[in-house]
Amino acid sequence: MIEIPELAFGCLAAGTAGAFALGGGLWRSRREQDRLRRETAGLRHQAEQSLRAGVEEAERVRQAFTAELEHLVTRRMPAEATRTAHPHVPVPGPAGTAGTATEPVLEALRTAILQERKRVDAAARAGMRGATREIQASLYRLQDLLHGLQERYDDPELAQVLYTLDHENEQSLRRAQVAAVVCGAWVGLAREESHLVDAVTGGQARLAGYRRVRLHNHLLPGTALVSHAVEPVAIIAAELIDNALRHSSPETSVVVSLEHVDNGVTVTVDDAGVGMSPDERAAAQRMVAGTDPIMFSDLGDPPRMGLAAVGQLTRQFDLSVDLSSRSPYGGVRAVLLVHGHLLSHVDPELRPAAASTSPSTRTGEVPRPRLPDDEADREPASRPAPGTAPVAGHEAATDGTPESAAGHPAPAHDRPQSGAGDLPRRRRRQVQPDRAALIRPSAAEAAAPARSPEECAAALGALQSATAAAREEAARTEGTDPR
Amino acid sequence: MRGHRAGRPLVPAYLSTEGVARPSRNSLERLSVLTSTAGPDPGELPPAQHALRGALEGGSLTVVEAAALLRLPVSAVRVLSAALIDQGLVTARPPVPSAGQPDHDLLKRVADGLRALKL
Repeated sequence: MIEIPELAFGCLAAGTAGAFALGGGLWRSRREQDRLRRETAGLRHQAEQSLRAGVEEAERVRQAFTAELEHLVTRRMPAEATRTAHPHVPVPGPAGTAGTATEPVLEALRTAILQERKRVDAAARAGMRGATREIQASLYRLQDLLHGLQERYDDPELAQVLYTLDHENEQSLRRAQVAAVVCGAWVGLAREESHLVDAVTGGQARLAGYRRVRLHNHLLPGTALVSHAVEPVAIIAAELIDNALRHSSPETSVVVSLEHVDNGVTVTVDDAGVGMSPDERAAAQRMVAGTDPIMFSDLGDPPRMGLAAVGQLTRQFDLSVDLSSRSPYGGVRAVLLVHGHLLSHVDPELRPAAASTSPSTRTGEVPRPRLPDDEADREPASRPAPGTAPVAGHEAATDGTPESAAGHPAPAHDRPQSGAGDLPRRRRRQVQPDRAALIRPSAAEAAAPARSPEECAAALGALQSATAAAREEAARTEGTDPR
Repeated sequence: MRGHRAGRPLVPAYLSTEGVARPSRNSLERLSVLTSTAGPDPGELPPAQHALRGALEGGSLTVVEAAALLRLPVSAVRVLSAALIDQGLVTARPPVPSAGQPDHDLLKRVADGLRALKL
């Protein structure tokens, strides 16, 4: 049997030991707790610090971004917009490192502006094209009327008025035509194969100062342009001569010379003006080269259309114009090169050049080449040195020129002192004495062999189908009505 | 046809006389006969005068005939020939009086006959 005191003692001892053990554990846990509390506080402090720093950083980034955006909106985008019209305007870079992300915005802006600009420009050109086309057509009708009146009335006073009107009309026509061409229209007039000198002289006649132009024609008689190149060459010649006239003093003359070169014919326009600065020259050269598309809105106010029209035509018709050299007369030298494939040959006897065109200085040369390629190949060898050409040519021309200039068959008696070079002409002239009396009609019939109805039909059919094909082509490329 | 041009001329008439339509003398009529005087070509003539002189070489033409040949209006040929006469390069004589000219009807019949002959 266990006694109660023993039991109590045992219990007490166990209780004491348990209390001791418990107190130790408690003490240890309190220390642990303190340590934890301290760590927590430290961590909390750290967290608070880093949070504050984060907020500050975010605020800084926000401010930078706002500044960048403001810089983009107030400085860079306007500059970019201006730059599309004026390429020399610099666009400022991003304000800070954050700005690199805004580059695509500018890029998109640039594209959008360009597209819009092209669209507006095309609309303006279309409107202008429509208007000028109508004006041009009505001026051509007026020209027909004036020519009819000139044929009909020969009273000097009336004729004087008619000449003046005709000249005014030509000038208006030229302006309308140039505007139309700049706006991408067709030149507006189909011509037949014509003498090159006719085209250049025709261009000259369209200008107010045409009396100041001296034309030296060193081409072989009969050098002609294929039909679709006639009007473009006339327009380009008119614009180049106009430029020369405008930029030289009224007392000086503008010298135009036509010469054969290796792969075609050149029309050189020299003026004795003050010339152009290198910048102007470069700009003009860019314009006439026709490589960049022409923006109507780039031409200034009032628009300077002349060189732009030249550029448009050189691109369309594979002509080349060079303005990069100085003229020996001090001003600008403009050179239009007409390539061989745009040249052809017209018989100067059957279809002489216009009476007002300068006679060729080259009538002495005998076998007339029938093919432009031949002609081009043969040329350089037989060509006189540039400096001596006009003078020497002129002497040669004095006895031989008439029939090439007027194209009129000069009657027989006066074809004496000619060298071997004149033989072909002599042969042709033998038909003429009986023609001198009858005037106009017989010669053509004599020259043109009679055609059978079938041949006529074939020729007309070919003409018609070619016209239809060309119209279709024009309608396709221009995307407007086929006119 | 000889010298036939379809379409409008490239070179307008006023260029031939540099815009002058009043001849330096009034004696020239449409049917005045122009004759080139013998002698060397002076060489430095304006192109159209040169052409007119060429047209007259070795023969005579009336003013209208020369105009038709050169495809210029009569008014321009008047100015050109007046200038050439002033320089002594061309002479002009008044037109043949109408009494001396062949019968108009006869000419018309001949022309009709010629047209009928043509194929």
